[in-house]
Amino acid sequence: MNFWERFESMDRRWVYLMVAITVVIPFIFPMKFPVSVSPEARSFFDAVDSLPDSSVVMLVFDYYPSTIAECEPMAIAGAHHLFRKHCKVVTLSNIPYGAPSMAESITRGIAAEYGKEYGKDFVNLGYKYGYVSVLKGMGVSIESIFPADNRGTPLSELPLMNYVKNYEQVDFIFEVADNATADFWISIVNAGYGVPMGVGCTAVMAPKFYAFLGAGQIVGLLGGMKGAAEYEILLDKKGTAFRGMDIQSLVHFLIIALVVIGNVGFFVKKRRNRKTKS
Amino acid sequence: MRTTAPVIVAFLVGITLVITFFLNEKTPLVGQLSNQLLDWLIIIGGFTLLLGVVSILRVSWQTVQRRKEGWFYKIATIVSVLVMAIPSLLPVSWSPLFGRFEGSIYDWLFVNLQAPMMATMFATLAFYIASAAYRAFRARTAEATLLLLTAVLVMFWRVPIGEAILNLMPGDMPYFINKFVMNGANLAVQRGIIIGAALGAAAMSLRIILGIERTYLGKG
Repeated sequence: MNFWERFESMDRRWVYLMVAITVVIPFIFPMKFPVSVSPEARSFFDAVDSLPDSSVVMLVFDYYPSTIAECEPMAIAGAHHLFRKHCKVVTLSNIPYGAPSMAESITRGIAAEYGKEYGKDFVNLGYKYGYVSVLKGMGVSIESIFPADNRGTPLSELPLMNYVKNYEQVDFIFEVADNATADFWISIVNAGYGVPMGVGCTAVMAPKFYAFLGAGQIVGLLGGMKGAAEYEILLDKKGTAFRGMDIQSLVHFLIIALVVIGNVGFFVKKRRNRKTKS
Repeated sequence: MRTTAPVIVAFLVGITLVITFFLNEKTPLVGQLSNQLLDWLIIIGGFTLLLGVVSILRVSWQTVQRRKEGWFYKIATIVSVLVMAIPSLLPVSWSPLFGRFEGSIYDWLFVNLQAPMMATMFATLAFYIASAAYRAFRARTAEATLLLLTAVLVMFWRVPIGEAILNLMPGDMPYFINKFVMNGANLAVQRGIIIGAALGAAAMSLRIILGIERTYLGKG
């Protein structure tokens, strides 16, 4: 059995071990590869940065805990940017599985850093079942869909929500998603009410959103951990996404190397079979 | 009657929501009617969540009672559902351990157990992808070779060190990939898929509203 045959019949657990080692090494020895900024991330950042003070922005936590590694850095960077710019932030979620809790802990923690007050500078509406109904209904009245915030306080008792009645008072939507809810924000809220929005999504979802970006329905796109790292760089606040790029770089390289070696072996074997036949 | 009534309800609600979509929502009657129906949808949806919880508990309990294969895993399911649900439903005024906020049992379980477990399950995909990529990703045909080359280029482009290597090549490769692969071929294909899926969804909605499609009633 030659090298190529041996490689092809290699136990998959060796591959798992290689991936594990590749993931662990950058944790011990951070490499800090320079990250360049894509035009999609820059246009997203610029759109948020050009909002006037006190603009109302909906920061939407539409992701499950399983994609925290990719989506949470986007939500954190977004919250920092919005509070730094003194925007009024309304958070909500169309995901029942822990997203309202994540929205609560992230926004309250970051808001405290900027001295923002709950009810006046930011509000967490929480979760309500049925995202199509929720997104459509908020166009008429947010209060009819969310009579109370995530903690059960009636919206009428929150000064910010006395001003924000429906999408007419919302200046921008910062959507962080790992599922199809982002499509509905675009098709219902952007198309129906004309609210500008940007989408941060997982890397596997990103190719789809280039269609919306090309059509001008979203102003910018953050694709996966790379997108989050780009936003962190633009914000000059490097976080977990920037650190994660070392790991992603090495794992991508490992996969490419495995694919290349696998294909070389495939062609060597094919050539030998042809020779044997002739 | 059991079939006719739901079809009539689906027709009336569906047609009303379609019509109100094209009318000005600020008109009091249109806005109120539309929001009333959407409120009902949300309330009915809430009951489906409750139905899901009751169903998983019932099915799991039956498996435990009949000692079917893997019954002990069902005990874990029942215990997990009850331990997460009961403290989160009890009022915070009784104890700070109740409810869903910081310091509660629910929050502790979510942060320390559920979130890491879900993230771990998702992260294990990287191992399977790596293994599958080297076993199955072969340049057997011209189409497969094109797919392979595009995938390798995009994978290089998406990471800093890969982008640095692409920059060493003649021409502006990162710009080329962004402009012609992601914003070119990919955009065109995605647009076709989205439009096709939207047309399919519209056709299916129309079939349901008009009572042609009745599989949601359990009828073929």
